Amino acid sequence: MLEIKCPYCGKRSQNEFSYGGDATVKRPDLEKEVSDKEWDDFLYYRKNPRGEHSELWHHVAGCRQWFKVLRSTITHEIFKTVKMNEEL
Amino acid sequence: MSEKFRLDKVGYINKNKKISFKFNGKKYFGYKGDTLASALLANGVHLIGRSFKYHRPRGFIGAGVEESNAHVQLYSGAKTEPNAMATTVELVEGLVAKSQNCFPSVSFDLGAINNFLSKFFPAGFYYKTFMWPKSFWYKIYEPVIRKAAGLGVAPLKPDPERYEHKYEYCDILIAGSGPSGLASALAAAKNGARVILAEDKPRFGGSLLTDEVTIGNKKGKDWADETIEQLKSMPNVIVKNRSQVFGYYDHNMTVMLERTKDHIENPSEYTPRQRLWYIRAKEVIISTGSIERPLVFGNNDRPGIMLASAAKEYMKVYGVLVGKKPIIFTNNDSGYDTAIDFKKNGVDPLVLDIRSNSEGSVVKEAKNLNIDIKFSYGVVNAIGYRKVNSALIGKLNDKKSGYESLESINCDCICVSGNWTPTVHLSSQSGNKLKFDEKINAFIPNQPRQNESTIGSANGLFTLKSTLEEGFKKGYDLSKKITDKDLKIPVPMSNERSYGKQDKFWCMPLPKNKQYKRCVDFQNDVYVSDIELAVREGFRSIEHVKRYTTLGMATDQGRTSNLNGLQLVSNIEKKIVPEVGHTTFRPPYTPVTIGAIVGREVGKYYRPTRKSPMHNWHENNNAVFVDAGLWLRPRYYKQDNETLAEAAKREATNVRNNVGICDVTSLGKIDIKGPDSAEFLNRIYTNAWKKLPIGKARYGVMLREDGIVFDDGTTTRISENHYHMTTTTAQAVNVLSHLEYYLQVVWPELNVNVLSITEQWAGVAVAGPNSRNLLKKLFPDTDVSKEGIPFMGFKEADLFGVPARIFRISFSGELAYELNVESGYGIFMWEKIMELGKEMNIEPYGTEALSTLRIEMGHVAGSEIDGRVIASDLSLDGMLSKKKDFIGKRSLKRKAFLNPEREKIVGVVPLDKKTMIPEGSHLVSDNNAKLPNPKLGHISASCWSVEYNNPFSLAILKDGKKKIGEKLFALAPLKNQSIPVKIVSSHYVDPKGERVRS
Amino acid sequence: MQKYSIFSLIKNAFSNHQNWDVVWRDPAPKKEYDAIIIGAGGHGLATAYYLAKEHKITNIAILEKGWIGGGNVARNTTILRSNYMWDANGLFYEHGMKLWENLSQELNYNVMYSPRGIINLAHSDAQLNTYSRRGNSMRLNGIDAVMLGRKELKKMIPFADFSSARFPIFGALMQPRGGTARHDAVAWGYARQADSMGVDIIQHCEVQGFEVQDGKIKGVQTSRGNIKTKKIGLCVAGSTSLLAEKLNMKLPIEAHVLQACVSEPVKPFLDHVVTFGAGHFYCSQSDKGEMVMGGDLDGYNSYAQRGNLPTLQHVLSEGVAMFPNLSRLKMLRTWGGIMDMSMDGSPVIDKSHIEGLYLNFGWCYGGFKATPVSGWTFAHTIAQDRPHELNKKFTLNRFNTGDLLDEKGVGTKTWIG
Repeated sequence: MLEIKCPYCGKRSQNEFSYGGDATVKRPDLEKEVSDKEWDDFLYYRKNPRGEHSELWHHVAGCRQWFKVLRSTITHEIFKTVKMNEEL
Repeated sequence: MSEKFRLDKVGYINKNKKISFKFNGKKYFGYKGDTLASALLANGVHLIGRSFKYHRPRGFIGAGVEESNAHVQLYSGAKTEPNAMATTVELVEGLVAKSQNCFPSVSFDLGAINNFLSKFFPAGFYYKTFMWPKSFWYKIYEPVIRKAAGLGVAPLKPDPERYEHKYEYCDILIAGSGPSGLASALAAAKNGARVILAEDKPRFGGSLLTDEVTIGNKKGKDWADETIEQLKSMPNVIVKNRSQVFGYYDHNMTVMLERTKDHIENPSEYTPRQRLWYIRAKEVIISTGSIERPLVFGNNDRPGIMLASAAKEYMKVYGVLVGKKPIIFTNNDSGYDTAIDFKKNGVDPLVLDIRSNSEGSVVKEAKNLNIDIKFSYGVVNAIGYRKVNSALIGKLNDKKSGYESLESINCDCICVSGNWTPTVHLSSQSGNKLKFDEKINAFIPNQPRQNESTIGSANGLFTLKSTLEEGFKKGYDLSKKITDKDLKIPVPMSNERSYGKQDKFWCMPLPKNKQYKRCVDFQNDVYVSDIELAVREGFRSIEHVKRYTTLGMATDQGRTSNLNGLQLVSNIEKKIVPEVGHTTFRPPYTPVTIGAIVGREVGKYYRPTRKSPMHNWHENNNAVFVDAGLWLRPRYYKQDNETLAEAAKREATNVRNNVGICDVTSLGKIDIKGPDSAEFLNRIYTNAWKKLPIGKARYGVMLREDGIVFDDGTTTRISENHYHMTTTTAQAVNVLSHLEYYLQVVWPELNVNVLSITEQWAGVAVAGPNSRNLLKKLFPDTDVSKEGIPFMGFKEADLFGVPARIFRISFSGELAYELNVESGYGIFMWEKIMELGKEMNIEPYGTEALSTLRIEMGHVAGSEIDGRVIASDLSLDGMLSKKKDFIGKRSLKRKAFLNPEREKIVGVVPLDKKTMIPEGSHLVSDNNAKLPNPKLGHISASCWSVEYNNPFSLAILKDGKKKIGEKLFALAPLKNQSIPVKIVSSHYVDPKGERVRS
Repeated sequence: MQKYSIFSLIKNAFSNHQNWDVVWRDPAPKKEYDAIIIGAGGHGLATAYYLAKEHKITNIAILEKGWIGGGNVARNTTILRSNYMWDANGLFYEHGMKLWENLSQELNYNVMYSPRGIINLAHSDAQLNTYSRRGNSMRLNGIDAVMLGRKELKKMIPFADFSSARFPIFGALMQPRGGTARHDAVAWGYARQADSMGVDIIQHCEVQGFEVQDGKIKGVQTSRGNIKTKKIGLCVAGSTSLLAEKLNMKLPIEAHVLQACVSEPVKPFLDHVVTFGAGHFYCSQSDKGEMVMGGDLDGYNSYAQRGNLPTLQHVLSEGVAMFPNLSRLKMLRTWGGIMDMSMDGSPVIDKSHIEGLYLNFGWCYGGFKATPVSGWTFAHTIAQDRPHELNKKFTLNRFNTGDLLDEKGVGTKTWIG
């Protein structure tokens, strides 16, 4: 069981959290013209690295905050967790 | 039967407490502190089971978890346990055990015919045959193979026992209480660390229980006992026996299984059978020791042949002689320990040593005791069917490729010692890439990946002195790092025998023209010839060898066989062992009871049950419940002998004609507050929200970003910056996360807060033409007239002193209201409504009637919003704002979504106006078409229309709107039904929506 | 090649099994091949076999960084079925079932196809209706399916919880021809036959890069040197993204770890494959007697073949909820596999924008049962340079057109499966 440091609550066991996938996905700004490719990339094409992965987690059984995690997809080691408005 | 093989004054068992037990129907006696294995051996019982494939007679090879053969079936009925390791089963009064995998009995087993035919059943034989004729595999061959396979018999009844979970945190977890584990625990605990010391066996001390050593001028065992007492007295230490750390997972999470019940004679009914500990430790010390390897020779799997270390343990811990005419067969000095113990207990052993000599002090001691030692000798073949009774021994030639001489010797047991394999499972599980240590001829841990240290013989250290030094140092160093304290205790003096060099030779050659079976993996019946065959056929990767021969895949997971198998492959391939590599160690270390992993989430408690505040009322009024996610909702309220369909019809009719009440508490409710709430809703929902006045509700549809309909519901503006959102029961949890995601991740600039209030409010729907009249009585001081609360209106009101919220929204399509009060008042509200509605003949209605009402109105629900449809499929195009962006809008431009022939929601009526169309039927134009018959759509929901008194269904139909008026077939081949139907509008009743607005 | 049979077995027994041929050669890579398949897992081996057999293209190499059959074909729960709702999936997998039925004979290798029936338990009328929709769709596609009531189920699986379950059993959908096969045998059987037709299976040969000129495949760079070819089929499941990266391609998949486990072996008591409907759990009993069990993903991107215990706890709690007698058995072995989870849960078998590069990925946790039909259709796609009718919907650009094949209706949250 992973141990995840929620930036608001501190270290907690994984079963308090739910996963939210690639944190680098950015919703296109729809004020501007968005090409089909740009939109499809946003919907379906995510980073899938073997190594460091920036990802979202949601502290569902806690403070209910979403936050960012830098984690290894090889060893599952977590290097860093930050609030949404901070940089990993 | 008397215990012929029990020694008088030796052992740590309690001779004052005699225990009776049964094995294979026969009654025996043992003592408290015995294992089933030691008690049987004391009674001279060696034959305990049959092997997996060839049904060869088998005895004990070990004295603990290394056991490969001695698996038995315990007890019977619901409490039966298959494949219990006799060497770890503690003896309790009344224990009942029997042999497995044999028929009719373990001493005469018909399955043993396989042994005579074994020539035809080499490794992987089943891949090469049983292919003809085709149907015979499943019908004939496989059932025979299945019946022959398997070991014990599974219980077929639910497990009556309870299993508990415990979560624990500590500074240092130490797995194994041998000398290195005890030393590190003591050093760390004295230096202030919070320590958990876990020992798998009932007794602490590991090798100190059997080794002739002294520590600090005390016998090793006494030092261990004193150290344990000292640790137990410290508040920062948890000491646990019968507790095996079986798994080492990510982020230094280890899992330990504590056996809490089976060894107790009269356990309390509250004692769990086992307790699973999730332990998160800052540091883990692995002091799990090592396991002796067997030597391989002809028929080395016969009962009476066991590890020398096991024979020693039976003598010293249990006071049991495993034989009275033993052969000790060894390639290293530790076999001599066992020989000396035999001698001291009055039995003359014969030692056969593969080596030509040894300088160890233990060998000198043996010579001084006049023990008969034959150097350069080994066992060639063991003889005796149900138990070994003699051995063919041989003097090896210089190259050890054959024999200079052979002779036969009588014996009643053979104790083998083939060097030691460090127990590196936990280290490997934690991610440590092992390295091969040439000196000890085995794998040891290398670079730890997590906060893990392996010490003692698990780390390849085999002298007590070095082990103690390492243990004390590791305990001190790690605790200092954690506690920042600096109390160091000195390493006590120790004394031990010295041991000479080992020989790597372990597999005896076959004499000319002999084809003895030489066993490598005992339980799975893998022999030297099988491994040779696998390599010869090209299965050269160790993973291929393992899979093709099943080496190391038995319940002992190759504890005694893996390394021998590896060495064999390396010999054949002429590669060094590290090049051959090793297979991966995975949790669990030994098999773990599934119930213990599951814990308390069983039966009714498998998942939580959510109940509304009115649940007891429903129960008292004959409600039949239905699961709606985790919620239990009344499906209908049964009267007399009604069927479900009859009740639903009655309840729905009463709503259409009169007034009904339905518990809607389970609908998701989300409180939304903040100055940007309107903007937020405008982005989340597909329709416009900015102009919704205070005191009004609006229906909304949410999409996923990929354009698929996600959920629907109403949201009400309670005040300027305060909204009340409802969701479906099924999606309540997901919608909240969805909202939080957009607020926190995508649009952090919006000043909005969301909070689930589903359980804070009890909700009821009051529906039917009479509902307004009822409301007048419920709220005499509030204007509930058509103008007072118009359609989609909202009002806060006083329900006889209880603050209530009135929403004029309708799912049934009738004039209807939804009333909310705080949960604690839910039952008050419900009973008040029933009381005041009595004269109007109000009736409660359940989800089945609710479905009927919504289906004939053409309102969509979960059976239509199934995660695959877009808004236009459900004729919700009108809900899609053209002016603003909303979640999922951009996706609607995709080609497949713009296809004019996409599915559309329609109504379906059977032509005979009688036959209910099964939900899940498909619509086709030709009911006799050749398969695959093209499907035009499917029936999503069906009901008996109470309005028209005939069946009516909703369907999602290709190009559906154009097909209105057409005749098609609804096919349900699963029910052999083919129903001619007519396509109609999905709005079957009140298409203009006049009733809700009345 | 030696033919395997009871007679050859007996004959070899009398020579102490000294005269069996090697199952496959261990060739060094040639300088050039007509086609190269990357990945000697089930799909890669099957693809090479059908290229050789059906399309007579035999100058092929399979490049494998590890050992034959070491990926997901070595670590799955061996279930075969074609009980899908969407036509594209149903007809595809049904063709696969037909290949499975004759596979032992075709490969002269006993893959132990065992049509023991797959039972999907339903725990409410609503769920039964959802299963009816699927089952009726199967029947209209010519696939076998039957509905079972509680009474029939009590006879078939009397040890299931029919009395005190949190979510009672209402009935089930069953595909009688669904079942299991021996996973390793599938890989080895295909490898042996492909090898005998001249396919070079090159183990311990890692692909490190691709040679692409003017939008066309020219060759690969490997740990054992450069090899020329005009056609490459990518069959690397969990590693697909990593190889695609070397081609500057991004694909709509994520790698996730899925765990499975077996109990210790016990005498046979479960004849069928059974899935639990009030959760995600499936279970069958192997010929060896082990209960083979699996369920949910661990739930975060991972390339580690190691799982965590809470997921297993969750999965096994579903198992015990379904079969309360499992509680007293012991879990013997667990393992993890890397799943190439696609964004709609269905696979891609397609050409790519690079001429000569063919894609086969996105099998999620259903790859094993697809082994024969994936190889069969992929071989066609490579040989003919166009998809077969059966895989023409498994395009990459469905993620642009919206023609998705979402069996479960859960969208792009791959980690919730």
